[in-house]
Amino acid sequence: MSYNTLVFIAFLGITLLLYYIVPKKFRWIVLLTASCGYYILNSSALIAFVFITTLSIYLCGLWLGKINERFKKAKGSLSKEEKKIYKAKTTRNKKLVVLVAVLVNFGLLFFLKYFNFMSDSVGAAIGLFSPSFQPFHLSLALPLGISFYTLQAISYVVDVYRGKVKPDKNFGRMSLYLIFFPQIMEGPIGRYDQLAHQLYEGHSFDFERFKSGWQLILWGMFKKMVIADRAGIFADTVFNNYQKYTGVTVVLGVIIYTLQIYTDFSGSIDIVTGVAELFGVKLSENFKRPFFSLSLQEFWRRWHITLGAWLRDYIFYPISFSKFFMNFSKKTREKFNDYWARILPMAFSMFFVWFGNGIWHGSSIKYVVYGLYYYVFIMIGVMCEPLIRKTLGLLHINREAKGYKLFQMLRTTALVCLGMMIFRAADLNAAFNMFTSMFTNAGLSVITGGSILKDFGIYTSDFAILALGMIVLLVAGIIQEKGYPIRETLAKKNIVLRWSVYYAGIFMVLFFGTYGVGYKLADLIYAQF
Amino acid sequence: MEELLEILEELKPGVDFKNNQHLIDDGVLESLEIISLASEINDEFDVELSVADIMPENFNSVDAIWALIQKLQAEE
Repeated sequence: MSYNTLVFIAFLGITLLLYYIVPKKFRWIVLLTASCGYYILNSSALIAFVFITTLSIYLCGLWLGKINERFKKAKGSLSKEEKKIYKAKTTRNKKLVVLVAVLVNFGLLFFLKYFNFMSDSVGAAIGLFSPSFQPFHLSLALPLGISFYTLQAISYVVDVYRGKVKPDKNFGRMSLYLIFFPQIMEGPIGRYDQLAHQLYEGHSFDFERFKSGWQLILWGMFKKMVIADRAGIFADTVFNNYQKYTGVTVVLGVIIYTLQIYTDFSGSIDIVTGVAELFGVKLSENFKRPFFSLSLQEFWRRWHITLGAWLRDYIFYPISFSKFFMNFSKKTREKFNDYWARILPMAFSMFFVWFGNGIWHGSSIKYVVYGLYYYVFIMIGVMCEPLIRKTLGLLHINREAKGYKLFQMLRTTALVCLGMMIFRAADLNAAFNMFTSMFTNAGLSVITGGSILKDFGIYTSDFAILALGMIVLLVAGIIQEKGYPIRETLAKKNIVLRWSVYYAGIFMVLFFGTYGVGYKLADLIYAQF
Repeated sequence: MEELLEILEELKPGVDFKNNQHLIDDGVLESLEIISLASEINDEFDVELSVADIMPENFNSVDAIWALIQKLQAEE
């Protein structure tokens, strides 16, 4: 049940009605019941896996709480030296609990998502010596949102371990934190301290918030149904038959796919955030106009923000603050000059972040390459920084100049588009062939001869609507980049202007949304992860 | 406090560390810089910053960082 279907809107309407009818203290029960119902409708008996995850982190949280309490009680009566020893023992025990939670939850995720991939990889290695060897495959169904709720689950346990949050004694609240229906399919990946209490509190009906939520849903629908699904028709045509096309068409296909995945994912997140707002819940921001970024590092701080933040807090920092890393970092400072003392530790810890980013997206070698693609380019950027600074100085190029910033934006976008090509291509071989065709078989005549639209096999009207959608998106992005909050600014305008904009949005989705005869409703791209 | 300011100014020249109260929220200090900063603090002040200390509120201002160092020194 995708967010952009009538069934979902009906489901949402009933849940909203029940939520605001029942007394405030029972409202969380409506959300939990609706969330379980939504999960069962989408993933039936696989809800058992969410239950296992919930139970495991609930118990681990309580266990950590008990260890902390024991330490607090005991430390008053201990000498300084005894306290140090007891603290070390307590930390060891707490680490053991976290390890149990990680093994149970990542174990489930790895088994369900990566078993066949691992089996294929091992099979390929054995196949080198025994060509008749057939890898063993299991028919495994993936529970809805497992990649998202598993990260939320781990973050809760680690935050309790770090003392950032207190263990939750309410199993219902813990369940709702993991299974809240608007965000279960595509995130954003929430944090317990920001989300759980909001879901549990009963919120009063607030008309302004309600209106603002629907505006965001409409904007998300526009991005998803008018732009993303239409761009998908172009992108699918090129990616599924890239051998038929010349380099120019492939380049256009890659750019349009990048537009598709951005509007699909960010549009879905807008819908999800808007739906949560209807219940008075504020979710974490997941996109911040990433294509205005000046570097790849900045891009990843503005694209799928909650995944980047999760990788930073639960992979990058633990590695960077480990004893091994601290010693490694110290040794590099002693043995190398400032430049290498900075680069080497960074190269070490960032590798795990980007490897994790890649493998999180899917059980295939192309996703690993996708993650490491960013790793390589970010490291090249960091390593070349002194050289770039020197060159710009010699050429008297001002880094703050608008022209240079525009160049940086375009360069970042081009690199992101190439990354998206790896992400979307059927496999690495296809991605490589597409890339080489850009240079070996450019075929500029499809532009000069005007046959590019015929090449795609699509209507000119679709292309025109897509172009219009992109202009709207760009204008909205520029306005937001300049610091004007669109929804708030619009709310202050007079009724005629306000409702003209709302109606324009509604009619755009109704008339230009890709549904009905000639179109098929496209799935949410990130729901497959 | 002066030593801390020196470390910060060396790490990121040109930033008004004395007055900025939103070093993390405004993206002045990013994850890679926090790692370098933590390592310098450990060496300079003989403390052991752990991952649990890496919270925005501990790094948003020079006063907050200084308070964290003092807390860690008291615990040693």
